[in-house]
Amino acid sequence: MIAFIQALIDGVLVGGVYGVIAVGLSLVFGVLGIVNFAQAEFMMMGMYAAWFAWRYLGLDPLIGAVFSFLVGFGIGALAQRFLIQRVMNAPHVSQIFLTVGILIVMENAALLLFGADFRTVQTPYQTQSLQLGPFFVSVPYLAAFGMALVVSVALWLVMARTWIGRAIRATAQNAMAAGIFGVDAKRVYMVAFGLGTGLTAFGGGIILSYSSVSPTSGAQYVVLMFTVVVLGGLGSVMGAIIGGVAVGIIQSLSTLVMPIQVQNLALFVIFIALLTFRPQGLLGGASR
Amino acid sequence: MFGKSILAAVAGIAAFGASFEYAPAAEPVKIGVLVPLSGSTSQFGINTRNGVELALEDIKAAGGIKSLGADVELVYADVPAPNAAAAAVQRLVSQDKVVGIVGSFVSSTTLAASEVTERLGVPMITHSFADQITSRGYKYIFQVSNKASTIGQKQFDYAVEIAKRAGKPITKAAILYEDTAYGTAQAKGLRDAAAAAKIPVVLDESYPLNVTDASPLVNKIRASGADLVFPVSYFNDALMIIRTMKQQKLDIPTVGGAAGYIVPDFKKGLGEFTEGVFSIAPANYDNAPAIAARYKAKHGMFMAHEALMYGAAFQHMVKAIDEAKSRDPDKIRDAIAKLKKCDGFSAGLPGGCTAFDANGLTSVAFPIFVQWKGEDIATVYPPEAAKAPPVWHGKDVK
Repeated sequence: MIAFIQALIDGVLVGGVYGVIAVGLSLVFGVLGIVNFAQAEFMMMGMYAAWFAWRYLGLDPLIGAVFSFLVGFGIGALAQRFLIQRVMNAPHVSQIFLTVGILIVMENAALLLFGADFRTVQTPYQTQSLQLGPFFVSVPYLAAFGMALVVSVALWLVMARTWIGRAIRATAQNAMAAGIFGVDAKRVYMVAFGLGTGLTAFGGGIILSYSSVSPTSGAQYVVLMFTVVVLGGLGSVMGAIIGGVAVGIIQSLSTLVMPIQVQNLALFVIFIALLTFRPQGLLGGASR
Repeated sequence: MFGKSILAAVAGIAAFGASFEYAPAAEPVKIGVLVPLSGSTSQFGINTRNGVELALEDIKAAGGIKSLGADVELVYADVPAPNAAAAAVQRLVSQDKVVGIVGSFVSSTTLAASEVTERLGVPMITHSFADQITSRGYKYIFQVSNKASTIGQKQFDYAVEIAKRAGKPITKAAILYEDTAYGTAQAKGLRDAAAAAKIPVVLDESYPLNVTDASPLVNKIRASGADLVFPVSYFNDALMIIRTMKQQKLDIPTVGGAAGYIVPDFKKGLGEFTEGVFSIAPANYDNAPAIAARYKAKHGMFMAHEALMYGAAFQHMVKAIDEAKSRDPDKIRDAIAKLKKCDGFSAGLPGGCTAFDANGLTSVAFPIFVQWKGEDIATVYPPEAAKAPPVWHGKDVK
């Protein structure tokens, strides 16, 4: 029982962070209808941004993640405006080629600019944990989870309460109708894409507080990210967060009964079962 | 062959005729360096390159290959993954006309590359660990480090001996390993050694290399009650395991399996928490202080073992070419097999030399035990190689 609760705690905390990196992917798909295969590379870039903020400005990566968001937003918005916008109405194959191409370019650009070293930060709380009876609550995971919650609430506020949030949702529902009401679709696409890549980059910043970054860090998370999004329902923001926590819990609990080597096996078995019986995802279709 | 070298010499003289520099007359001898310079293992490839280039400085200072009157030229081939190895070797040999190859750090890449060098009849020297490298009966592949199974076995045996000397014998051990060729092979060595020593292994668990959360692993170590853990990891996984162990206040000796535990980045990532972490290693820079100091001055970090070992492999090959007095890969292969080289970079390896047995496996090297002390890694075991005493549970072990 102790092991079960411990695994549950770890799973929920890690899962919250999976949710934040996946929410950007979901947002991009929900609004632009594009599956961005380069999304995980924005996470890697966010990790670098947070690393530089830590190294040269002395910012804790949890704060530096804000800087990651800005970098992710800026580069994402530019990429959308000058590259993605051109394939908005093109066949899916072209869109896939473009985003996979961006993935390769970003990974190699990072290698060229930053070299292959693993970079890590050191924070005072990195090796701390709160001990509650027999349970350990990892402080870096808890802090990361807290930041994930904060940013989820902020995103919800932006989407629900601001003009641009409403414009994004309107465009996602019906781009033409939104246009008639004076919403500039091109601008909305640019902002939504930037917001999506920015959130993923933000997630990268938080992950850096307990992990390390190298040009191939994105590849480590890409499959997880897609699993989270599909589990939660492609295009659903709330679903991505719930999907993230679900993935974290499944990964963590599966290690109680199975070897760690196959922790993703349990994940994918549940994933396939869910797709078979509920192809729209956990929350798919229910909300956006 | 003789005619060909005259021709080469003539061509060389013609080419250098207009130059006023004091250059050797013959065309340079080309040696291929096959390493990952991009992709996830590129840091190790870059360290290898730095080591080989430092070794080349010494060769140039000594006048190149004297018997041929020729300089040495390096030709790099980037192999980010094993599937790129065959084509890269083919290109090095047929287009760049290299007479020998050193590389390629990653065991699975070396396995793939050596099949091609064998077919083409070009000698290759590697430091990769996998057992199969020199157990296939190949003639053209040489391994300067011990096999993974030997390394795993020593990793276990040395730890048991140190614990015994410290008066705290090991009763329960845990083995954790990443599930690719390297981790799997080394874990087998650990397991066999544990069986031989009749010490129960209470946890024997593999994990995927790209693991994103180490807490399940550490939960299992804690639950197993082991008094010693042997993690065989690359870098990112090593970092997460040590950090999570500290979080859970799990304070048992940790004996890493080389790779991720003995790179400069390990210190950068963990700071004070590296103190006292052990690892098995095929070589360490404290046995070659002069070379290590030059390396540090140039690159700002300590010399990783792969830099030292590939520098030695490269110098061994150049010396063999010198002794063979030939550019013929077959003659060079025989000279490599016959040569026992105990100076330069080779002197820095455990055993003090590079030399090979009939299978091409090192006949002199032995794995060593290293421990983090401050900013550095010190060789602590076996006693004949040690530069400092091992520290076990906070106490010096005599």
